[in-house]
Amino acid sequence: MNEMIFEAKDLSRSFAVGSSPLQDFTDHFLRNRQPAVLRAVDNVSMTLNEGETLGVVGESGCGKSTLARMIAGILPASSGERRFRGEDYDSFLRRKRDALKVQMVFQDPMSSLNPRLRVGEIVGEAAVLHGLVPRSRVKDYVVDILARVGLPADSVGRYPHQFSGGQRQRVGIARALAVKPDMLICDEAVAALDVSVQAQIINLLLDIRRDSGLAMIFISHDLGVIRHLCDRVAVMYLGRVVELAKTSELFASPTHPYTRMLLDGMPKISAQRRRFMPIQGEIPSPLNPPSGCHFHPRCPMVTDHCHRVRPELREIEPGHVHACLNVEPHSKRL
Amino acid sequence: MSIASFQDFARRFAESRSAVISLTVSLVFVFCAIFAPLLAPTDPYDLTHLQLSDALKPTGSKRMLPGEEVRVNIRVNNGAITVLPASPTKTRLSLAASSCGPNCLTVSVEPTAARLGSLQVRNLPNGATIEGAKKHPIQPWWTIDNPESSEVRITSATSLPASFTLLAIAKSLDQETDFVFRLGTDNFGRDMLSAILYGIRISVVVGLVAAGAAMVLGTALGLFAAWQRGVTDAIIMRAVDFMLGLPALLIGLAILAILGNGVSKVVLAIVIVQWSYYARTARSFAMSELGKEYVEAARCLRLSPVRIMLRHVLPNCMPQIIVLFTLNIAAAISMESSLSFLGVGLPLTRPSLGMLIASGYEFIFSQKYWISIYPGVVLLVMIVAMNLLGDRLRDLNNPRLDR
Repeated sequence: MNEMIFEAKDLSRSFAVGSSPLQDFTDHFLRNRQPAVLRAVDNVSMTLNEGETLGVVGESGCGKSTLARMIAGILPASSGERRFRGEDYDSFLRRKRDALKVQMVFQDPMSSLNPRLRVGEIVGEAAVLHGLVPRSRVKDYVVDILARVGLPADSVGRYPHQFSGGQRQRVGIARALAVKPDMLICDEAVAALDVSVQAQIINLLLDIRRDSGLAMIFISHDLGVIRHLCDRVAVMYLGRVVELAKTSELFASPTHPYTRMLLDGMPKISAQRRRFMPIQGEIPSPLNPPSGCHFHPRCPMVTDHCHRVRPELREIEPGHVHACLNVEPHSKRL
Repeated sequence: MSIASFQDFARRFAESRSAVISLTVSLVFVFCAIFAPLLAPTDPYDLTHLQLSDALKPTGSKRMLPGEEVRVNIRVNNGAITVLPASPTKTRLSLAASSCGPNCLTVSVEPTAARLGSLQVRNLPNGATIEGAKKHPIQPWWTIDNPESSEVRITSATSLPASFTLLAIAKSLDQETDFVFRLGTDNFGRDMLSAILYGIRISVVVGLVAAGAAMVLGTALGLFAAWQRGVTDAIIMRAVDFMLGLPALLIGLAILAILGNGVSKVVLAIVIVQWSYYARTARSFAMSELGKEYVEAARCLRLSPVRIMLRHVLPNCMPQIIVLFTLNIAAAISMESSLSFLGVGLPLTRPSLGMLIASGYEFIFSQKYWISIYPGVVLLVMIVAMNLLGDRLRDLNNPRLDR
């Protein structure tokens, strides 16, 4: 078994919605009202091994990006633990140079690059500042990195707006690679790209993973991409992980009703004439999530129990956990 | 900004003719401000060269040299002649005396071109007379009838005493010089053209320094508020609301009433008034920039907050702040002029445009329009040019107006 590189335990993040210090004050003392709280990520636990790729999949607004930012150390956690190679994140993030080991690739290739900086500065800035490369050699260093992501050497002196979306995403990947990370978080890294360009970027990520043995957390709403790229997959619904399993197992035999419905909605070549079954109902507001199991208003297998009890993650097979009260290990294939 | 994008920006800027004109006018004013000592015919700060005889002269009049009175004692002692100045020592006019033969003495006025108002020689010895002069009925005072000639001859039928002393008094008329007051003079006899050029200098310096200092202070506070959020943000922004809620001129008046006048105090007053505009703009644009992914990327690269704000966020807010800066220079200039007009701005000895307008205000109904009108026109043109320039920059920065 591989070494564990990252571990999250009961990680949560809530946002106070539309609050200001003054409003908090009046709400608390005058209206006797609790400020509205959005639980974007709710008690998520997961692990990532060295060199492994973990996929996180879910609908829009299920907290994937918030989770990604907490793992990257950009957002603080409201509660729960994060550990990098066994070390707690608080002390890990304080050592800036070590904290570079966790890097992130962003979704929007337009806004993820500073329009006022040249590509050479975007890619080389952090490496120079943290002393990974002396300032005198930074140009060669950046050219090497750009070559790794398939960009020509003359990109160094150009501005982001002079590149296409795919090239810009390559710059974003080069920026992350320039500080020699051990763990890369890709937050919807290909979602904003054309399908043909998506394939190029995915191949690039695969090449990088093969060459450098990076551990990756790949966040996407695209099941096809996840299936292609990931060793294990976590399925999220309204801030909670509902199922986590090896990719092959999850796609072959999903156990949680939500996962099953998600996979049923996935287009298949063999199902040309089939009508897709959309998941019934709207995704509930995360401001006011349903009681008990978050999925119960849309679940075909709902029972009274589901309204009251919050399902915990249970192992139904080694390495396969889910959070459903009704699907028992023995009755896996309903 | 790359060269290509700058060229594109310049081309789009030049599409508006009024913007090009206002840029040119602004540059001319800056040129005037820098080279005022070379362009100005006189130094309006040099109070020793002011003379009240020049006060309130209309446009195009010439500088007059006032008349002088010179008194000298001419002592003759056994044929030796000495001239002893009796009163004011430093004058353009001077008197000399020489012998023109036995019993004959010449008194001459220098320079010979000086136009004399009167010439009198007193205490002539008995028997001596002056050609073309009348004697006082009682005193031995001889007044020359026609003082145009610069020389008088004292002759005597009898021989003059061995030693005697004469007192010669010459008065010159006011004299016109070649110096022309192109825009007239103010009530202190200052050349308005020079005063306006130096006034532009003060206005431009006050405008640039005050707006610049307000920009630095306000932008720093705005960025700080945007980064800190929460209570710090609330405190700074309430201070901004407070400042924006009070009339700017009233705050300026109050500050200067406490501090007294002077260029640095006017600048301070304007900075206190204007920082809030920059703080509000910088905060709002920094907030929107902070929401973008490149800032998250910078945080993920573990860059320091100061570096993220100054190197990543600030350059992306700069276009809007520069627009505000251009508009606020005009506001700062007009505020300085308003404060000077109200009498709390700059000292009387270093007049700004507002001060010149104020000093002409009391004469405008006595048809001495030039003291107020010319600096007023200059101020108007300067502020309009700056505003048009700022408007154009703002339009170029607004993508919605971009065709």
